[in-house]
Amino acid sequence: MKREPFFWISVSCGIVIMAFIILPLLQLITAPSLGMLKETIQDKDVVRSIWLSIYTAGLAALISFVLGTPLAYLLARSAFRGKRLVESIIDLPIAIPHPVVGIAILSVAGKNYWIGQILSELGVRIMGSVTGIVTVLTFVGLPFYLNATKTGFEGISPRLEKVSRSLGASMFSTFARITFPLAWRSMLIGLIMCCARAISEFGAVVIVAYHPMIAPVLIYERFEAYGLKYSQPVAVWLVSISLILFFLLRILTLHKVKE
Amino acid sequence: MEEKMKERSRCNWLLYGIIAVVLLLPCGKSFGDTSGKIIIFNAGSLTIPLAQMEKEFEAKYPRVDVLREAAGSRKCARKITDLKKPCDIMASADYTVIDQLLIPAYAGWNIRFATNRLVLCYTNKSKYATKINAKNWYESLLKKDVIWGHSDPNLDPCGYRSVMVLQLAEKYYEKPGLFEKLIANRPKENIRPKSVELVSLLQTGNMDYAWEYRSVAVQHELKFVELPDQINLGNYKYDTFYKKAVVKVTGKKPGTFLNKKGKSCTYGITLLKNAPNTQAATAFLRYMLDDQGGLKILKEMGQPPFIPCRVPTAEMKARLPKALRDLVEVRE
Repeated sequence: MKREPFFWISVSCGIVIMAFIILPLLQLITAPSLGMLKETIQDKDVVRSIWLSIYTAGLAALISFVLGTPLAYLLARSAFRGKRLVESIIDLPIAIPHPVVGIAILSVAGKNYWIGQILSELGVRIMGSVTGIVTVLTFVGLPFYLNATKTGFEGISPRLEKVSRSLGASMFSTFARITFPLAWRSMLIGLIMCCARAISEFGAVVIVAYHPMIAPVLIYERFEAYGLKYSQPVAVWLVSISLILFFLLRILTLHKVKE
Repeated sequence: MEEKMKERSRCNWLLYGIIAVVLLLPCGKSFGDTSGKIIIFNAGSLTIPLAQMEKEFEAKYPRVDVLREAAGSRKCARKITDLKKPCDIMASADYTVIDQLLIPAYAGWNIRFATNRLVLCYTNKSKYATKINAKNWYESLLKKDVIWGHSDPNLDPCGYRSVMVLQLAEKYYEKPGLFEKLIANRPKENIRPKSVELVSLLQTGNMDYAWEYRSVAVQHELKFVELPDQINLGNYKYDTFYKKAVVKVTGKKPGTFLNKKGKSCTYGITLLKNAPNTQAATAFLRYMLDDQGGLKILKEMGQPPFIPCRVPTAEMKARLPKALRDLVEVRE
């Protein structure tokens, strides 16, 4: 069969996009020598920052899961006045420039604002703390989880739930036994997206917390203080470790589908 | 006959006139016709006052275009010596950079024109804001419930200078152990990459006190405590005392370190030997180093100028362009 020109246009666009994404990353990954990479991963600061990045991003995903799932379900299932507005508000963190996010969170957490005053009386500190980092990461990651999960819920026919309810199951039991088993894949994708977004955040975090350093902040500090040569290996480790994590999660989800 | 003579003399006059104009043209260019681009490499902390000066100067000389490039002072010098970038004027936050890197090959003289110094900034809402003063500031910084910080000594000169002030305070107030105690009350989390970022932490109430250059404090309308000259790194008379402050900062690669010694924040400026537009650049310097011109702007923006500006020796003064000599005094 003769291929249409449109096919070839699509293929060439695809190649351009793949090259656009892969080439810079490949250049980054191959730049540092193996010796440098080894030296870097033996550096306690590097290991600490990568670990901090992973677990703060994980916590942000967990918080998004706990708080976001009911809202995503509500948005997928019910129509109410102002729903569009709520949906637009959820998307806001994606559109705001990152440093602005950091400044906004700091101004709410400062003593000049009532929330900041309450927090300070409770002994909770946002500036320069893990709490602050998780707050920022949740802020930027939440929309990704909400949107993916909402789409997942929307893909499940409400009829199935109605059958369950008509047979006497409670709303929660219906959710746990019918909706969740059908939607967990999109929820997992939502969690991965949220985590990925959180692990890559720099601009907002560096304003709220310079120390303790998450990996992107450490990469910036190394770049400013020592130059590209010493920031690249840290970046390579962060990129590879995140890639492996996300790859494992993807494999898990794909595996289930084939069953 | 007479008619012809008259005509000839008229012709001669015309000729003399043309010759005179042609001869005078270059002079006219060098006195009245200041135009073209002036390239200035300046220390980052001079950016705001220089922008204001550029505006005023260009209003006076509409055919001049001042182009500013801000960077760290050493980087500015490297752009001239290593990268051979064209530049007319170089203004450094540390006058010794010009002495060390540009004289004698790239510049012939170095005018000290302004100072800066470290101050302790705060706002109305800072804890103990009503009680703090130049005598008791360190007692406030020792209190457990006070959050104060400075910028990263490894990334920002203001950062290691802040630490130097604390070291000098221990010596000046004769309170052994003061420095250690102060640092112990400043968790690492209170360090920021650049000092300007601390301003927003003060303004949002996330921090009570922060170390800044006086100019930054004035430009951001913060309240600040002025410290004695012996410790504020603002008076080069005390350079030998400042030298006693030594801060370890990171070196060329992770795990290596080098020591920074205390030194006054004294600004220096020079005109480069191979400046592309010497004539306009001299005019700019004449405006900038005048107490009714650039120096006035510096003063308003919190960078105390030297009025008049200073050069260290009479011999250096003799090397200055004529137009600048009357603006400068010889003073160690």
